[in-house]
Formats: sequence, C-alpha cells, structure tokens
Amino acid sequence: MLSRLFPRTDRDIVFPMGGAVLLFGLLVAGGLLYQTILGSGSAERLVTGMMIDAIIVVGIQIYIGNTGVLSFGHIGFGAIAGYVFAVLAIAPTEKAKRIPDAPFGLAGVDMNPWLALVIAIVVVAVVALFVGLGLTRSGAQSGAVAPTVITLALLFVTHEVARNWPKLTGGDRAGLGFRVGQALDSRVPIYIGLLLALVVARLFAQSRSGRLAAAAREDDLAARAMGVNPVVQQMVALVISVAVVGIGASLEVYEVGSILPSNFFFDYTLLTLAMLIVGGRNGVTGAVVGVVVITIADETARRMGADGFEFFGIGLDGAPLDWIFRENLRTVVLGVAMLGFMIWRPLGLLDDWELDEWLHRRFGADAEEPETLDEALAREVIELHASNISVSFGGFRALTAVGLEARTGEVVGIIGPNGAGKTTLINVLTGMVEASDGSFELQHVEVSKEPSYKLARRGIVRTFQNLRLFGALTVRENVETSALVAQQYRSTEVIPSVDALIAEAGLWDQRDRRARELDYGNSRRLELARAVAMGPAFLLLDEPTSGMSDTESEQMIQQVRHMAATVGAGVIVIDHDLNFITGISDRIYALDQGRVIAHGTPAEVQSNSHVRAAYLGTEGS
Amino acid sequence: MTELLQNLIDGLGRGSIYALLALGVAVVFGVMHLLNFAHGELITVAGYVAFWTLGANWSWYLVAPLIILTAIAVSLLIERIAFSRVRGASDFTMLLTSFGVHFVVSAIFLLYVSAGVKTYDQPWWLANTFKVGSLNVEVFDTAVIVVTLITLVATGWLLQRTMFGLSLRAAAADFETARLMGVRSDSVIRGAFALSGLLAGIAGVFWLMREGNTTPSAGIAPMLSGVLAALIGGLGSLRGAVIGGFALGLAEILLRSWLPDGIERFTDGFVFLLIALLFIFRPQGLITVPHAERV
Amino acid sequence: MLVVSGLTTKYGAISALRDANLTVGSGEVVGLIGPNGAGKTTLLNTIAGLLTPTAGTISFEGGDVTGSAPEKLLRAGLALVPEHRKIFVDLTVEENLKIGGVTVAANERDELLDQMAEQFAVLRAKWTTAAGFLSGGEAQQLAIARALMSNPRLLMMDEPSLGLAPVLVDVVFELIDSLRQQGRTLLVVEQNATRMLDLADRAYVLRSGEVVASGTATELRAHDDLFDTFLGG
Repeated sequence: MLSRLFPRTDRDIVFPMGGAVLLFGLLVAGGLLYQTILGSGSAERLVTGMMIDAIIVVGIQIYIGNTGVLSFGHIGFGAIAGYVFAVLAIAPTEKAKRIPDAPFGLAGVDMNPWLALVIAIVVVAVVALFVGLGLTRSGAQSGAVAPTVITLALLFVTHEVARNWPKLTGGDRAGLGFRVGQALDSRVPIYIGLLLALVVARLFAQSRSGRLAAAAREDDLAARAMGVNPVVQQMVALVISVAVVGIGASLEVYEVGSILPSNFFFDYTLLTLAMLIVGGRNGVTGAVVGVVVITIADETARRMGADGFEFFGIGLDGAPLDWIFRENLRTVVLGVAMLGFMIWRPLGLLDDWELDEWLHRRFGADAEEPETLDEALAREVIELHASNISVSFGGFRALTAVGLEARTGEVVGIIGPNGAGKTTLINVLTGMVEASDGSFELQHVEVSKEPSYKLARRGIVRTFQNLRLFGALTVRENVETSALVAQQYRSTEVIPSVDALIAEAGLWDQRDRRARELDYGNSRRLELARAVAMGPAFLLLDEPTSGMSDTESEQMIQQVRHMAATVGAGVIVIDHDLNFITGISDRIYALDQGRVIAHGTPAEVQSNSHVRAAYLGTEGS
Repeated sequence: MTELLQNLIDGLGRGSIYALLALGVAVVFGVMHLLNFAHGELITVAGYVAFWTLGANWSWYLVAPLIILTAIAVSLLIERIAFSRVRGASDFTMLLTSFGVHFVVSAIFLLYVSAGVKTYDQPWWLANTFKVGSLNVEVFDTAVIVVTLITLVATGWLLQRTMFGLSLRAAAADFETARLMGVRSDSVIRGAFALSGLLAGIAGVFWLMREGNTTPSAGIAPMLSGVLAALIGGLGSLRGAVIGGFALGLAEILLRSWLPDGIERFTDGFVFLLIALLFIFRPQGLITVPHAERV
Repeated sequence: MLVVSGLTTKYGAISALRDANLTVGSGEVVGLIGPNGAGKTTLLNTIAGLLTPTAGTISFEGGDVTGSAPEKLLRAGLALVPEHRKIFVDLTVEENLKIGGVTVAANERDELLDQMAEQFAVLRAKWTTAAGFLSGGEAQQLAIARALMSNPRLLMMDEPSLGLAPVLVDVVFELIDSLRQQGRTLLVVEQNATRMLDLADRAYVLRSGEVVASGTATELRAHDDLFDTFLGG
C-alpha cells in the first residue's frame, strides 16, 4: 500500500523525513544560537516569530509549490483558523469582556486550547474543501488568473467579516485576547508544529498526489494525457496546505495572545509571499531558507529604521542616513525583495533543490542498471474502431467521415500533407478534441465523449508533436508519473518497471537529470518511455521522428517497435518520413484535406497516385 | 421608485469612476497580459500631489490637469522600471511583479512622506445638489458622469480612428503579427501605459475630490475596483471593462441599500463574495465578446 | 537581395533548422518546398525576425540583419505573410490593410489603399466587414494585400494555399503569378510543389531541417523522384 503512495521507500519516505528533521534541527539550532548570543527578550521573540512564520510559509508552499497556482488567500484561511481557535480557547471570563453577546453561546465555551486547535484545523480544512471546489470549477491551472482572484476575494471577505462582526470577533480595534499569563509561553508546541509541517510538506511532495500535482503544474495537457486528473491532486494539496497554515495561525494567536483582523491581511500576505518567492517556491528547503533570509532582512531593516544604522554595536549615524533608514523601511525592503526576485530570479534562491534529495544522491544506495525488457507474452487482442469521425472548428472542416481500425500488436501509420487533419484525428482519439460526428470504440465500448485522462487510464496514450515533457521533473520522475497512474488504473495489464524502461530508452545515465536539460533525441525517447510506462493498449505517436536525422529515425523505429512489444500495445503513428513509416507500419492510412484517400499496405499506399498527388500538389486546372 | 432612481444615479456616478479605472487596467492587460495591481498607485501619488499643491493654495482648476499628468508620468515610469523587465514572462511572474510594485510604491510613501492622513480642500461645489423632480442630484455625480462619457467617447475615437489606436488593437489581438506589420513593441506598450495613466488620472481627479484626503494606502481601493471591474467584464474586452465598472458601481450602491440593517456593514464583503462566485461559475467574466468568425 | 548562410535555429532542444543556405536575387521568385516539419516555416520565421538563430547569418540588401526585430526588418523592406494568414479577425478589411501600412506615410498609405481596392475586387466588396467573416480564400488575399501595403522589397509567403479548396488554390497561384509579372521579388514556402515549380525561377527542397536539394525550377522538375526526395523514400 505504501508503495502505491510513495514509489521508492528510501527516496520518498526515509530521506524526506530525515531531511525534514535535519531542516528542523538547523532552524532551531540557528535560532537558539542567535537568541543566546544576543541574550535579549526581543531576540527570543524574533526567533519564535520566525518559527511560526516558517510553519505558515511551508504550509503555503505545499499548495503554491506543488500546483503552481498562485493563491493570495492562504492568510485568509489563517485568519479563519486563528479566530476559531481564539473564540474557543479564550477563557469565558475574557470573552465576557470583549464578546459577551457572541452568537451560538460561544461566549460561554471553555475549551482546552489543544482541542480548540484541532477544531480550528478541521473547520478551516472544510472551508478549504469548499473553496477548492470553487477553484476547480474555475479551471485552476498553473498561472491562471481566476483562482488568484478567488483566493484574493477570500482574503478580503475574511478581513471584512472579521472587521464588521464585533460580536464574534471583537471587531477592528479591540479584537480578541487571552488573559495575560494565559497565552502560550512554551516553545515546545511550536517546535512540534514546525517539525510536523516540514515532515508533511516533504512527504506530500514525494507522495503520489504531490508528484501528480507537480506533473500537472509542469504541463497540464500532458499530465491529463498520462491519466492524471489535476483537479483531484490540487484539492488534496489545498486541504493539506490549509491545515498546516491553520496550525501555524492558531499557534501564532496563542503565542502572541491576541488576534486582530489586520494581523491576517495584506501585510502578512506580503511577508509570507516574499519569503516564499525569495527562497524558492518549488521546494520546502527553499521556503525555509526564504523565511530565514527575509527574517534577517526584515529585522535588519527594522533596526536600521528604529535606531539608525547599527550593526552588532557598531553605529553609523548621521542625518543623511537617518533619512533613508526610517520606520517602515521594512515594507519597502520586502516589496523590493519580492520585486527584484520576480524580475531577476523568479524561481528564488533555491528553486526546488531539496536537502534530502541532495543527501540521497550523495549517500543513498543506488539502483543497479536493470536487465533489458522482455517482450510481452501474447495478450488478449484489444481493438480500436473509429468510424465516421468528422470535426469542425467554426466554419473549417478539419476531418470528414474518417474511419480507422487498429489492433494491439500491430502498427498503423497515418500520413498526409500539412493540414490534412492527422493531428486532429489523434486529438479526437485521445479526448482533446470533440468530434462533431462519428464515434470510436475501445473493445466495443464507446468512449467518444470521455476526457483525456479517462482515455489514458483505459489505455489510449499519446506523445506530442511539440514534445511535452514535465520539464522540471527528472527523467525518472517523468516516467514515474505514468507508472503511478498505471499502478492504480491499469494494474491488470503488463506494466514494465520504470527503471527497465529508462534503461531501454538509453537514458539510464541521465535518470536524475531534469527533462528540460535533455537533448532532442533523448527527449523524444523519454516521451516514448513515459507513454509506455502506462502499460497502454494503444500508443498514439505524433511525429516521433520530427527533427531527427536519418540514423536517429532508424533507431527510433527499433525503439518504438521494441517498447510497444514489451507491453503488447498497438501503435498508431503519424509521420512524414516515408522511410520511417514504411519501415514500421503494417498498414497505412493516407489523409488529405480531412479525408482518408487511401488505405492499405505501405507498398500499396506509396504507389497510389492520389497520395502522390496530395503530397506534390496537382497541376493547375 | 424615487429611491431606486436615486440609487441608480449614485451607482452610475460611482460606476463611472470604476469604468475608467477598469478600462485603464484592461488596456494594459490587452497588450501585455499583465493584470496591473499597481494601477491604484497612480492615484496614491496623485493624492500627494493634490495635498501639496492644494496646500499651497493652488486652485482645483490647475490641480486637476496636474493630477492627470502625474498619473501618466508615473504610469510610464513604473513601466520603464519594473514591467519592461518582465515582458513575456509567465503570468505568475507578472502577477507577482505588479503586486510587488504596489507594495513598493505604497511603502515608499509610508516611509518617506508620512503614515498619516493628509487632508486637503475639496472643491466648493462638491456637496451641492439640484433638484430634478423629486430627486436630489449631486452636482458631483453629474460632473463625473458627464466627464466619463466624454472620456469614453474620446477614448473610443482614439482607438477606432487613429493609427495609434489601431496599433493598440492589433497588438492586443496578436502581438507577434502586429510586429510583423512593423508595429514597434516598445511604442505600443508605452502607449498603452500612457493611455492607462490618462484614464486613471481622470478617474483619480474625481476620486480624490470625493475623498478629501490621502494616505499611503489610498491606492488599494481604486486598484481593487478597477481590477475587479475589469475581471467582471472579462479581461479580453475593453467594452466589457467599461460595463464591468458600471455594474460594480451599481452593485455596490444597490447592495448597500437593499441589505438589511446590520448586515449593511458587510457590503464590501458581499461584493467580494459575489465576485468570487462569479469567478467560480463564469471564470471568463460576465461579458464574452464573440470574435468575428465565419460559420 | 537576401543571403542566408549556415542558419541554425533551435526550439529548446529541437534543432528545427540546421545549417541552411539560401539566396534570393532581386526580381526572382524562389520556392521553398518540402514535407511538413521540414523547417520551412522555421526558416521564414527566422529570416523575418520572429525566431533567433543559434548560428549563421542573414543579410538583406548588403546589410547584416541577423537577429533583428521583426518591426525593423519590415522597415528595411522585408515582409512576411505568415502561415495560417494571421489576419486580425476583429478588425475590418480596411483596418487590416491600414495596419499593414503602419510604417508608411499617411498619404502614401491612402494611395496604397486605393490600389489594393482596385487590385482585389473581393476585398473591395467587403471593405468594412470584420476580417473574421471572410472565407479562407478571401482571407488569404487579404493577408497578401496587407503585406503589400508596406511596399516590401522582398515578400515572403508561408504556405499561401494551405487549407484552401482547389478552385481557390488556383486564385492564389494566379495572384502569385501576377505579382511575379509585376517584377516583385518573392520567397514562397509551399506544399504544392508541382504548382510552385511552375511559377518559380529557382527552388530549395527542405527535409528534416536541412536543405537536401536546390536548383532552377526546370532542374528540379526533371528530378527523378521528387516524391522520394520529399519523404525520404
């Protein structure tokens, strides 16, 4: 079961947990060192604040980093958690002073703070569930505008409610507060919360859900073509992320001893986003580093603003400097930091570099290069039937009454000049374009209206003409994406091992390199391996040799043949290279202007006069 | 009935300002795919200009055009310093960049001017009303609506009848092909920011007249209204932005008058909630302007 | 007029164009033929400044224009009718033409507008219609007329007959022929190799990002099996 959630035990469970503990240790050690050296109460408060900020920023990172969706609302979630916690945990005697008429009899509630914390987390997670549903309806995708607006609206709504409902929240000026002495005075819960946040964040990123979310972040379309439903993974990320933020927010309220609407609004949003951007939003280590760097910068700016330029006792005074270093310098520093990084280093200081991944690469036991793949034993033959497919884009008929048949174990080629409709046909068969007429069946089950990810799970998998890899993910992680989906949805089929596929594609030496760093030939081979890792019934390849030299195309033929044979898949391939197509196809369909103009063996089609005319053009009429 | 008409006029008055702000946001978005969260900062700066000049006893007749010029200048400055460097970057990057600019500008004022509220004299005719039948119509609202209409007509003329406007529209439709035609990317982007600044400046004049004071965070409210109105209208469309602005203004006024007492304070919250709901169910905005397409 | 030498362009890892050499002389009609994915569009887009080459040079009328921005090249006299036409669908026919002439002085532009109205009856008929309502053939004529509005010294066209019914393909090729007769210099990418070779003075055959054959049209027409050259048979 665990292997379904985490592909590799050491890389995905042991090392991340160890890494989280290590990060925790470093952060705590650093903080304790700082406050011991300075020995002041304010230093202690600074370190405590930093720890809490770390919990919240790591929480935000779980969502923004893994899904690529920019949320401005996480601090709004924090506000909800913070207020729920405060209302429940503050003693009735205190509540009588600020919110005596609280609704639902909450003024009389006297709850153990830890219970209140748990309830706060549950409440805010439920809210996240609803908001998440809203986000998915709006088509949340990496970089899209709608989810940003919705989350921003959430931030504003919570702020407005907090300000304008004094009966429950104590309103704008007074807020809510613990009695002096009742607030949290031990750091232990904060340490626990921080360790928990780090462990959860790392484990989530390495888990099945986190990996699929990251794949969708890199390329939403390709992820769907590999059977991923991004919506589900984003929901999971959101709920976990909000729960962690909720822990941090509640601890903040408990530690500070009070809550006001302005505590959880724009200023805090800016602070946490700046930390995430500066450190690196795609990784937990980056987030932590961002917290530290910005805390230092923030504190330095604050000191410079308050006392003039003073650095560890060395003072630099004078009217001109005074003019620059004023109170509120911090906001400028934060804004400039965020701006500067967005312009010059949008991925932050660390991007997605993780401490435990680095340790694993250096000290982890390495896998051996696996044996070559065997070809599959005979499998049940599956048939794909498309009939009468027509597609119109506005007024333009891309396909008219196209029919196609394919079987597992055989290779079908599709040729035709530019604009003939070949890619459109593949798009229809993989659920990316809806046919206006006609239908297609997989083993006599009609699947014409199914979305891409469902078709992929049924075993219809494709590669793309323009190459769509998950760029920031490694070679291994690219192939693992499909394997993770296959494990759950194609478990009855032959699923070759990820490592064996990588070796087969000649990528073993580069298995830990990012996909975007590969050269062209290797990229194409990776895309093929990724598709085969689904254990597909049908491999639909869109111009796999485009841009390759003749020798490379030769190699590709062998690769496609062999890989398809390891899973017993049927192949439908588009290409222009006649050498390639005739070398690999059992049958060929020739398309022109959206119709099938010839169908038969390679020899038959090649000598067909209509086909020759279509490619070379007819004489003038 | 009278109340409804009254609300309509108030709503139109407010909506006019929002329409101008939204149009400014939409113009920049059309050319750069950038949602400008810093749009409100033009009004923050203008606010301080108003404070200083009115404080020096300048008349509003001089201050109003100065405000407009300031807005244009600041808009171009921000483009030069920040946005020109992230052209063509991902939407994520651009969103955060504009957010960052917003913070830096408001922080600079917080830091180097003052955190406090700076009041200045409002125009003497601000509170005047005149009667139309049983309605009390504010001179201010009338002025706003009239000026806005003139501005919209003029902007429409600019966009439809000049080569500059044509270049803007072509660049918004297809930036790359526009460059193939010889349209200079620098010129068209700066032009968009200048136009955006002009619109913000005109809106800003009335906004500032009404407020009577300025603070470092004065820019947040107009920015939100402009951005949200543009989003409501559907970001691709200038017409939509204008409609979105009027819709937002009307919604605010009507909500305020319809919501039962007690909940009234939550008007702003309700507006945001409505917007969130809008985005959930209609992420492309209220108005979808169909592209010309041969069927 | 145009000399391209050793041009290489990549999309990320994809080497879409490798070491291409090409010349176009003043008054010549040169064809670029080859199967899809061969790099023909990449070549035109690189010359037009939409893509930056990783190696090689482009010189136009004696000056080095490698890596120049498209708007600069247009002003130098190099115009491109892009693949899929890319007309501005929400602008009227007249506005499309006007924007084509954005770099030209106002009165000269008006003169050119009159010329286009005369030369292209089909466009004159739909002068104030939004371009999105035009048929494929009409749109192609608009795209070509739009490019002519900048008074180009060299006109490049990317697959002008793409997606058009045979009868309209005739119209397009007739148009190209009349441009040729006007003495214009043309560089045309076409999939319809047969008809292109009828019109062109010289042609280049591209496959898999490389120039695999070139010569006068007569030479290429006599080529043994063009089909095989095309498709690597």
